[in-house]
This record gives sequence, C-alpha cells and structure tokens, in this order.
Amino acid sequence: MKTILGIAVFLLTSMLPIYAQRGNTQAPTSPVTGSAANGKALYYSYSCYACHGYNGETGRAFVGNWSANLANEENFIRFLRGRANVAPLTPSTSMPNFAENTLSDKQAKDIYAYIRTFKNAQPDLKNIPLLNQIVEDASKPSTR
Amino acid sequence: MAKKNGSLNRRGFLKGAAAGAAASAASLVTNTSPAEAQRGGNAAAPVPAPTQEQIARDAGVVRPPATVRAVQRPGSDLMVQVLKDMGLEYVAGNPGSSFEGLQESFINYGNPPNRMPEFITALHEESAVTMAHGYAKAEGKPMIALLHGTIGVQHAAMSIYQAYYDRTPVLMITGRDEGFIQAHTAHDMSAMVRSFTKWDAQPRTLEESLTALQHAHNEAITPPMGPTLVVLDTEFQKEEARELKVPAYRPPQIAGIDAGKAKEIAKALLDAQNPRIEVRRLRTPQGVKLSVELAELVGASTGTGATTGPMSFPQRHPLCGPGASTAYDYTLGLEIPAAQASIIGPGLATLLARDTANIGFGGIVPVAGGRDARGGAGATNAAAIQADAEASLPLLIEEVKRQLTADKRRVIEERKAKHAEANRKARIEAITQAVETKRNGWDSSPVATARIYAELWPLIKNEDWCLASPSGFSGGHHVQLWDHNKPYSYLGGQGAGGMGYGAPASVGAALAAKSRNRIVINIQTDGDLNYAPGVLWTAVHHKLPMLTIMHNNRAWHQELMFVEYMCGVRGRGTDRGHIGTSLRDPFIDYAKMAAGYGMASEGPISDPSKLAAAFKRGLDSVKRGEPYLIDVITQPR
Repeated sequence: MKTILGIAVFLLTSMLPIYAQRGNTQAPTSPVTGSAANGKALYYSYSCYACHGYNGETGRAFVGNWSANLANEENFIRFLRGRANVAPLTPSTSMPNFAENTLSDKQAKDIYAYIRTFKNAQPDLKNIPLLNQIVEDASKPSTR
Repeated sequence: MAKKNGSLNRRGFLKGAAAGAAASAASLVTNTSPAEAQRGGNAAAPVPAPTQEQIARDAGVVRPPATVRAVQRPGSDLMVQVLKDMGLEYVAGNPGSSFEGLQESFINYGNPPNRMPEFITALHEESAVTMAHGYAKAEGKPMIALLHGTIGVQHAAMSIYQAYYDRTPVLMITGRDEGFIQAHTAHDMSAMVRSFTKWDAQPRTLEESLTALQHAHNEAITPPMGPTLVVLDTEFQKEEARELKVPAYRPPQIAGIDAGKAKEIAKALLDAQNPRIEVRRLRTPQGVKLSVELAELVGASTGTGATTGPMSFPQRHPLCGPGASTAYDYTLGLEIPAAQASIIGPGLATLLARDTANIGFGGIVPVAGGRDARGGAGATNAAAIQADAEASLPLLIEEVKRQLTADKRRVIEERKAKHAEANRKARIEAITQAVETKRNGWDSSPVATARIYAELWPLIKNEDWCLASPSGFSGGHHVQLWDHNKPYSYLGGQGAGGMGYGAPASVGAALAAKSRNRIVINIQTDGDLNYAPGVLWTAVHHKLPMLTIMHNNRAWHQELMFVEYMCGVRGRGTDRGHIGTSLRDPFIDYAKMAAGYGMASEGPISDPSKLAAAFKRGLDSVKRGEPYLIDVITQPR
C-alpha cells in the first residue's frame, strides 16, 4: 500500500510543474470557508509573499495562472503537506513543506481564503504605452 | 607547505606572463618569506597594543616629535609623479598615518595640485577598493585605492577578493610604518590578502618603490587582470629624493596571437560560408571597437555578453544575434566563457596557490565547423589559445583585410544584409515575448521590479548611461527592456557575490562618468547598501552623476527564501524564517539615510504611478551634478 501511495505521490508531484505551467487564467470558484482577514496576516507572517509577491502577481505568480493545487481548499492543503521534506545540499528557493504541526488546516484555509481575494489586475499590453514603445524601438537600429 | 614558496613561484610565473612589463619583480620585494615574517612576528608574544601617547598622536592631540626635517623633494612627490605618468585619474582612500606623506603629495604636488590623480574621500577601505572595481569595469583601466597599514588592508579584503574574482585591475597602495604603531605595520603586509591579489611588492628603497608602482600597474592591466598591491614605507615617502629621477613609464606589451595564427584564423573566417564570432568581456573599449570592425569585415553573426557585463559587442548592432542561420561552419570565440573558466571561477585551491597553471585567460578560440560548432558555452571542443583576444584583433583584422577579395566582399555584404534582417526579427520576437511577462504586477503596490526598469528606460534611452549595479537580485529586467550598446552599458555582478558592492561600484563608475557627460544608474538592493552606506556621502562630496533607485524589499530576500525552505523541510514552520533575513521593526528609511549624508532624496514610494515623475526629478538633479536617491518599496522580486 505504501508503495502505491508513494507512486501516487511521485506522479502527483512530478506533474506539479505541468499544472503550474498550464494554470487557469480564471480564478477558482470553489467554496471558501476560511477567514481572509486572518489569512492576510498569515500570508505575511509565514512569508508566502516572499516568493509570490504581496498580491500573488510577481515572483512565482499564481494570479492569472491558477494551478490545480489552488482549485479548492482540499487541493491546497494537500499541496502544502506534500512538498519535499528532504533538504538539498545546495540552498533552494523551492516551495517549502508546511506540515500540519506548523500550519493547521484552519490556518491553511485562512490563507486560501486570502489568496482567493487576489484579482488579476495587470492591464492588457495594449494599454501600457511604455512597453509598446519598447517593442516598437526594438525594430529600429540602436538608439545610440 | 607549498605556499611557503608561493610568492617567488608566483612572481616567476607572472613575470613570464607579463612579457615586457616594466621592471623585474625579483628586486622589488623584501627577502622576508611569509614563514620568516611569521617567525619575526613572534607568535608567543603578541604585538603590544598602541600606547596612550601613540593613540594621542594618531588622534592629533599632541605635537609630533620634530624628527622629520623639511625636505625639498619628498619621495612621495616622485611616487605621485609615477602615478601621473601612467594616466591614473583617481585615488580613493580615507586617511591613515602610514601614508600621510603620500597623501600630502597627492593633494599638494603638481600643477594643478590634486589632479591626475584626484583624491576621492572614501569612508571605508572596502568602499575605496570597490569604487576602483566599478571604475575599472566602466573605463577599462585602473584607479588607485589607498589603504592604511594592516587594518585598512583588512577592511579592504572582501572587495580585493571580489576584484580578483572579477579579473578587474585595481592598483592598491598601503603604507607601512615600522616605528610608529606596531599594530598598524607588519613584516609582510601583503600576506593577509596575497592569495587573492595578482601581484604585490614591498620595496626596500625609494627607487624600488617607483618601479614597483609601475610594475604593479602593468601587472594589474596585463591579462589575467587583477588587483595588485604595493607596500610603501613611510620613510621612503618622506625621504629627500635629491637628484633621483622618475623612471620613464613603459606600458606592458600584451601578447596576442602570432602572425601565423592570425593568417590561419583570417582564412578560416573568410572561407566559411556562415562564420560566427562569440564576444564576451574584452579588456577595454578599444577591444570592443575592434571586435565590431572584425565582425563587419567578415560579415559574421555575433554573440555578445553586453547584458551580463562590460566590454562586449553592442547588443543591437545589426550583426548581433543568431543571424540568418545558426548552422555556423566556423566560430571564433573572443574571451568566451569556456576559455575563461580557469580564471573567472578559481576554486579555493586556485586561490591558495595562485602560481599554478590554473591562472590563464580567455584569449581567442577558433572552433572548427560541424554540428556542435555553435561556439559560446557549447564550444567545449575548443582549444583555447592562451593569448589576449583584444591584443590579437589588430593583427587579425590586418590579415583579414589582406586576404579579402572583391568576390568575398560581395558575398559578405549579402550575408550581412540577411543577418541584419534576421536579427531584427529575432529581437522583436524576443522583446514581444518579454514584455508579456513584464506586465505582471504592473499596477501592484508595492512596486513590481520590472516597472522600475520600464519607467526608467524612456527617460535615459537618449542619454549616455551606465547601469553600474548588479541586477541579478532585481529581476535583470534591463536585459530585455534596455539597449546595451556601449562598452559600459551594464557592469555586471559583484565578482564573488559579496554584499556592499552596488553603491561603491556605482560611485566608481560615476567617477569614470563625471568628465565624460555620462550618467550612472544604481538600482540598489537594500541589504547591499547597509554594508557601507557612507559611500553616498562620497558621491555627494564629489558631485558625481549617480541616480540611486532603491529596490527596497526590506530583506536579504534570497536568503529569506533559502531559510524559509529550510524551515519547511525540517517541519518547523516558516513563520520565523524572517529572523536574521529581513529588515523590519523598524523599516529603514533610505531617503532619510541619504539626506543624512547630504544627498537629495525622496520616498518611500510604493505607488507605481508616482515613479516616472520621481525618476524625472532624480535625473534632473543628477544632470546638475547632484546625486539623487529614490526609495522605492518593491515587491520582493
């Protein structure tokens, strides 16, 4: 049984990057039971912002690229518990593991509730003249 | 104990490597080996602490004993004349009693005094050396860092290590005063930094001191370049030079390829249907100019390192890019990374035994055709020619011109046109893809780092600019958004990843920029600035054209993520990961910090819509000769 579970975990974790790459542009609509207010404090104190930005839009952004791990509370908690628990010899900036004794299910649901409040706020490219100008300049010879 | 003989072996090796360099090193050093110096230091009996009288003297509260007679022609004047003759623009340092004679000559000798070199007041020796590091990367030549005996050298150690790792020429001078404060002298002053300086000398006479300075300069600029150190005794600085002549300066003859090899490579470039040139970090702007000339002559598509460091091929030159076809049948590497590995990445073993054959330099790397002949990092089958690429280019260009026929010229012109169009399309495609990601968090507060670079670009794109701070921790967004076409467009990383680099390196780059109508951009990470922020005062004091924009994420952010991960895998929770990695409680107010050093400043700004106006104010100030700091609260990355 342990072997099967191990294989399942392996398959799940090996597929995570694929999910991450093929996230949904639309935010999930599953039920939320946690407290977004509590989650806001936890998102900061547990340093979620460190990798995902204060709004989930920068660094390892997930807003606008909602992975299956964020589809609902259960997936989110399973994801948090299923991260690697063996330290590599070289420093890593991978997503840490969040064991239940360090982050309860309730706290995880609170964090989930908070990140579900994040909105995809980035403007369309056509509405950012600065970036359009940079693309336009690229077609010209050097500016200097 | 191989290291005991390292000094002599190393000097022997470097003497050979620097063919034609000024004087022989052998006569310039003391006979004291590191082991003898140790014995002389008497490990069982620690050096006594300074006496109250000595400290009072150092503090200037007692009149020095009148044992030093006035001299008509102090030795230090001759030392400064030697430095003038070599065209050195600046000397950075903070005062030390071990070089008071020399300092007096720097500020008073010559007409006009305090010019070439001009004394730049540093507030920390680490900053002085890093200024020289930044200056050399921007200008392709060294400036001087002046270090107090023992303690100043130790303060500077980290930055010397970085310059060494970064193959950057820095000419360092330290004073030595045996009869004053024993704690500030040493039998073998250079020993403490010898494993990461390229060459050092402790001359025994004034005459030797003068040739040692010339030799140190030539060693610093001869590949493999690096920091060099000369220990100047106070007695030589202060002695009467009488009729002693300043020796004529002779620049080093840096070895390039020989005529036979030039002929062979020129033929290969001209015979190839699709030649490729991979250019990385050359020594000076002249090398960059020559690499452009060669690429244009042979119509080769060209790779560049201009977005990772200085002195490389212009990023938007029509030939820069993959070209019309990546099936290259001949690739010429000019200082390509594969060949640089032995010096760019010295492991600890190399540092401890720098006289080994591991010290080499990139040189010039021809790669025969074939499926894997793409050059660059993939050119592992390349056999590096141990010669300086820049010094090789004139002969190579001459040989190409000699072999060029009218038919070949026509083919080359057609190829160049195809490359130009292909590279233009590739550039547009790459930038179009890049801007898609740069809009992530565009309107976020705190500010997304990409927006800083995007907002700044239209304000500087028609200026002569230099991005002097490392961008690795700030997203490196300039790589796609900016246009790196000057040898100094981007100066690259710290060298060895040491913190306390961005601001002083930018000040060094700004010293280079000051008389050249150039502006320096310092996108400054907050953790880095706190190591030696006094350099902001130096920028103000010397009216340097430097705009500092804080990437203030209120942490040593990379380490926060490392520790957070470690907390996670050990199952102890990430909620204390911020301890020792973040800069909060209280937050640091960088605008006030800058103001305290006299620098015009504003912020903190966390609303991205306010960036453009602030940047404009900052640039206006910089153009008036008043450096400016804008504190921007950012997303972590």
